[in-house]
Amino acid sequence: MRASWRDTLLSYAFLAPALVLLTLFTFYPLAYGSYLGFTEYGGARFAQGLAPRWVGLDNFRTLLADPLFLTSLGNSLKYLLVVPALQLASLAVAVLVSRELPGMAFFRAAYYVPVVTSVSLAAVMWEWVFNREGTLNWVLGALHLLPAGGAFGWLNNEHTAFWAVMLVTFWRGFGYYMVLYLAGLQSIPAELEEAAVLDGASAWQRFWRVTVPMMKPTILLCSLLSTIAALRVLEEVLVLTNGGPLNSTYTALMYVYSKAFQGFNFDYGLASAAGLVVAAVALLLSLANFRLFRESGGDEGRA
Amino acid sequence: MKMTRLIALGLSLSLGTVVSTAAAQQKVELQFWTWYLSPKFDDYIKTTIAAFEKANPNITVKWFDKQDSMVQDFISSVNLGGAPDVINLNIDETAKAAQNGFLRDVSALTPRATLTATYYPQSLTNFSSGGKVYGYPWYGWLNEGVMLYNPDLFKKAGITAVPRRASDLLTLAKTIKDKTGAYAWVPALKDPNTASFLGYFYAEGLPIYDAGGRAAFNTAAHAALLQQYVNLYKGGYIPEDVVRREAFQIATELYAQNRVALIVGGPQALTRIKDTNPGLYAKTVVTGAPLGKAGVQTGGSMDLVVPAASKHPAEAAKLAAFMTSNASQIAFAKVVPVVPTTRAAQGDALFKQTGSDPVARATALVGSSGRLINPGYKAPTNSDDLYKNLNDNIEAALLGRKTAQAALNDSVAYWNANMKK
Repeated sequence: MRASWRDTLLSYAFLAPALVLLTLFTFYPLAYGSYLGFTEYGGARFAQGLAPRWVGLDNFRTLLADPLFLTSLGNSLKYLLVVPALQLASLAVAVLVSRELPGMAFFRAAYYVPVVTSVSLAAVMWEWVFNREGTLNWVLGALHLLPAGGAFGWLNNEHTAFWAVMLVTFWRGFGYYMVLYLAGLQSIPAELEEAAVLDGASAWQRFWRVTVPMMKPTILLCSLLSTIAALRVLEEVLVLTNGGPLNSTYTALMYVYSKAFQGFNFDYGLASAAGLVVAAVALLLSLANFRLFRESGGDEGRA
Repeated sequence: MKMTRLIALGLSLSLGTVVSTAAAQQKVELQFWTWYLSPKFDDYIKTTIAAFEKANPNITVKWFDKQDSMVQDFISSVNLGGAPDVINLNIDETAKAAQNGFLRDVSALTPRATLTATYYPQSLTNFSSGGKVYGYPWYGWLNEGVMLYNPDLFKKAGITAVPRRASDLLTLAKTIKDKTGAYAWVPALKDPNTASFLGYFYAEGLPIYDAGGRAAFNTAAHAALLQQYVNLYKGGYIPEDVVRREAFQIATELYAQNRVALIVGGPQALTRIKDTNPGLYAKTVVTGAPLGKAGVQTGGSMDLVVPAASKHPAEAAKLAAFMTSNASQIAFAKVVPVVPTTRAAQGDALFKQTGSDPVARATALVGSSGRLINPGYKAPTNSDDLYKNLNDNIEAALLGRKTAQAALNDSVAYWNANMKK
């Protein structure tokens, strides 16, 4: 049945407010930011009220020649290792806490607390864990996993700081994805699980043959979200290590942040170009995610 | 015809008078931004603003205290056309803002003679660039203003003589740590967003720039000094957190826990210790700080600047001059132990008081020494990148990735290649 022009108009009228807001706060900043990536703009030029100056690909050449940017991009890509760990753990825990057992509501809430904890508070808490006299060294010492006098500040060592910060990201993101997976689990029809039980499938088989396939749309969504979040990691790095030591925790978004918002020498042009590179990487990885899930039958969950 | 002209003239004259009177009485509202002063100093700021408004009935002041996002907020406000009229910055930020054209030359708003008569020459130099003054010097602090120490830890370490030279501290670091387990002190090796190590070079009389203005902090003497700190760091005689946190923060935290024996700095550290460990505060001994070979002080200061985008520069200059006047700075020093930057502060009775209270004693020791406030180096152009490079190199030396000499060579090469973009 064809919709009348009045229906079409009405549909667009309903969409209009959202479109206006999206244009103002998403599409325009995106387009303007992309344009700035090809210009020289910031600092003195900004203060004098001069318009951005088109410089073509100069900013991208500067980025490629800047070892700090390359290090930061490398760190951001390395940071993606948190994604599979985060997804597997939050899915597994979601399956565990989705059972209607006494006290499960407490666990669901407890796992979600880090999501709503402010990053500065989290930083103070993790400082207690990671510093030389912190709980981590104490535990390792008590288990004889750390030689006498071998205690060190985990955030001050270039070999461990990166993983320590990643653990904080894991801790902060875990509850969020767990809730998304819980929602996904609740949408799986109970008959499927019951049919599998009748067919004599073990718990492990039910998980892999019923739960995981049905959850693929949620897994795809969570993977996409956490991939993008890992590429955008900034807050915990800023408060815990400020990018150090030896730039081992300096991420791409920290580079963007420092170029765009640090002091009065800021460089919107270069920062926007760096932002575009990060966005391009995120886009490529998202496409890879889609492809991966399609090839592994990502749509079967909807069947 | 004549009569008509006369009437017209009379009317225009009287109208002109009305307009000019109205203009004179027209209220001007100034936006005044401070940095990290609220809520602790609300009373002082509000009282001073009220006194200013009373003295200038046509001006009202709208005060905002900014914290972390000060610079970003300022840049946004310039972009949106609502720039503040008076802003509180520090020496480094003032230099950066001036280099980028965000500020007015205040000597064009207040006669140079008045500025010179009011503030210490070095204070004006701290906020000057290219022969122009970009800020009204406000409260300051001295990095080596006083030394405060824990007498119990000194006794435990068997130290009887108070260190008088900066080099004594390097020796003391080993003695105290080996005998008490506590650190001697926390040097500012690489404070974030600044180039704190350059202050150590200045204190030892080592140059930062050569006569041509190029970076020159990589002689053998510079490297030898850095190497001494590297040795201490590697030996575990300096808290390892100095690679990622501000030394002052670490020092005040650990001192209050009896894990640092002394703090070299301003009386502001004492205020924190008083809050966190009153028992230790009462025991704390305050004395003059050890100085480097050059016998100079390093330190910092705040100022009040008038943005180029301010719509009321004349009134803004009045407010800035009032807030930074001797009377206002002395009143501030009574609230918190800051070092005033006005010439008249030298003779103020406030700094001649003696007593056993550590803060009062520290205030008496440093309060009248504002003339000595000098960061020891001028902020270079493109300073954010250059400071980061220097700090990365200092860190590489501390963590054993580069020799002290190589670290300084690399940094100087980077500075000279990137100082003027």
